[in-house]
Amino acid sequence: MARAGNANSRLDRTCLAVCAALSLIALVLPLPVRESVAGGMRRTVLAPMVMLQERAELSRRAFLAHDTLMRKRDSVALQGLTITALQVENDRLRDIIGLGSRLRWGFVPAEALHGSGVRDEFGVTLSAGSRAGVQRLSPVVAPEGLIGVVDNVDPTMSHAMMWTHPDFRVSAMAEDASAFGIVQANTTNGPGRYLMVMRGVPYRTSIKPGTMIVSSGLGGVYPRGIPLGQIVGETKTNESWARTYLIRPAVFPSNVSSVMILRLDRAAQGVDNVWSVGTVADSTVRRIVVAGDSMARRAALAEAQARQAAQDSARRDSLRAAGTPMVSQSDSGIAHAVPRPPVHHDSVHRAPARRDSTHPPTI
Amino acid sequence: MTIAGISRAVLTFIVLVFLHYTLRPLLGWRAPIDFLLLAVLTASVRMRPGVAAILGFCIGLIADSLSPDTMGAGALGMTVVGYAAAWLKAVFFADSLPLNALFFFAGKWVFDLLYFIAEHRLHGIELVQQLVIWSPLSAAATAIAGVIVLVLMRPLLEPSVA
Repeated sequence: MARAGNANSRLDRTCLAVCAALSLIALVLPLPVRESVAGGMRRTVLAPMVMLQERAELSRRAFLAHDTLMRKRDSVALQGLTITALQVENDRLRDIIGLGSRLRWGFVPAEALHGSGVRDEFGVTLSAGSRAGVQRLSPVVAPEGLIGVVDNVDPTMSHAMMWTHPDFRVSAMAEDASAFGIVQANTTNGPGRYLMVMRGVPYRTSIKPGTMIVSSGLGGVYPRGIPLGQIVGETKTNESWARTYLIRPAVFPSNVSSVMILRLDRAAQGVDNVWSVGTVADSTVRRIVVAGDSMARRAALAEAQARQAAQDSARRDSLRAAGTPMVSQSDSGIAHAVPRPPVHHDSVHRAPARRDSTHPPTI
Repeated sequence: MTIAGISRAVLTFIVLVFLHYTLRPLLGWRAPIDFLLLAVLTASVRMRPGVAAILGFCIGLIADSLSPDTMGAGALGMTVVGYAAAWLKAVFFADSLPLNALFFFAGKWVFDLLYFIAEHRLHGIELVQQLVIWSPLSAAATAIAGVIVLVLMRPLLEPSVA
């Protein structure tokens, strides 16, 4: 029994010694041999394990990359939001600068400080007051059009009544001055709550949808030509003697952050061609076309006159030759009789002889 | 040891080897859990020291095939640890979890000692740092994982009562 145990112990120790010796031999083997042995094991015994390890490492990498990618995506999205806001602000400031350069003088730039109260829907606080030249009833405008009118002035601040106020009124007209009326906020509840209405348009006058409505300058507060909005369509009211139109406002006051306050002297001077850049361009194009047409017409007329003159001259020659009275035609194209030249009967009689001379003699 | 006992030990061994090549790279810890060593240790305590030495040698050599530059170092470490585990288990017959945890911890640390000394890749302060800081941490993680494995797989690992 003890001999068997000793034999087992000796066998165990032999196994240990052999394994340890093989391990040490593996450590000192040349690299190419080790490489070939390792490669053989990787391709056979260890192949499934290597595949599993590869999958696990890929999963870990994907997990870690997911967090990184999410962070990057979030930051890119955040930057995108900021860029959009900056672009909008840039465009807005460009518009303001453009309006300022067109107005040239007599305006006070201000920031619109929107509140969050219920009545703030109808009014806005402006960051410029009487020290900057703002006075009561100064029109408040944006690059898109009219916002409202200053109704209260402090030294450093002022308050403006926006067009959304129920008491707001402005005398208005179609851009081509074909129709006049009074524009105010649409106070009815419903889908048209934030639109304007143009009342008092004579029944015989019809305005097409899309027509631009501007201030008419009547009343003395708002100068002529500030855009108010575009006609959406006619709406039915109890006023059967006049038409009422819904207007899509040019400016939604809640979207406005920077405004221009027109000084009263500037308003009195008028703001012609400040908002009508497109109209001016259109009229310029129209004038060029008309000028082109008139030039073409003049050329055609000159050509016709030249042709007429040639025909007249030919006819005059033939008539002179035939001895018939001549009819001249003035530059205006109106024919009138000219003094009959003296009739030379001889010449009339001489003609057959000449004709005959052209024909070969008949025998 | 019965056929059922051998089957359970083999199943546990396969699970641990599987975890070594799946969970370990997935965790990616600086002080990783050595499931392969746990597999060798849990199998070795059920074997004769000589067979445990052969098993350790084979497993170590297979693991070394992924790093041919240090081929043999893992085999030597596993051989010694496997043999020692089988011999110590035969001597002490310890079945308590803390002793098993200590057993796993010591096994992993000894393996790392043998491995890093035999591979000759780390020298000086780096070797000391590895053996004094990272190897004990890895050994602790391995011991904890080993205890969890023992608790989870106790029904499989305990010998069936006849």
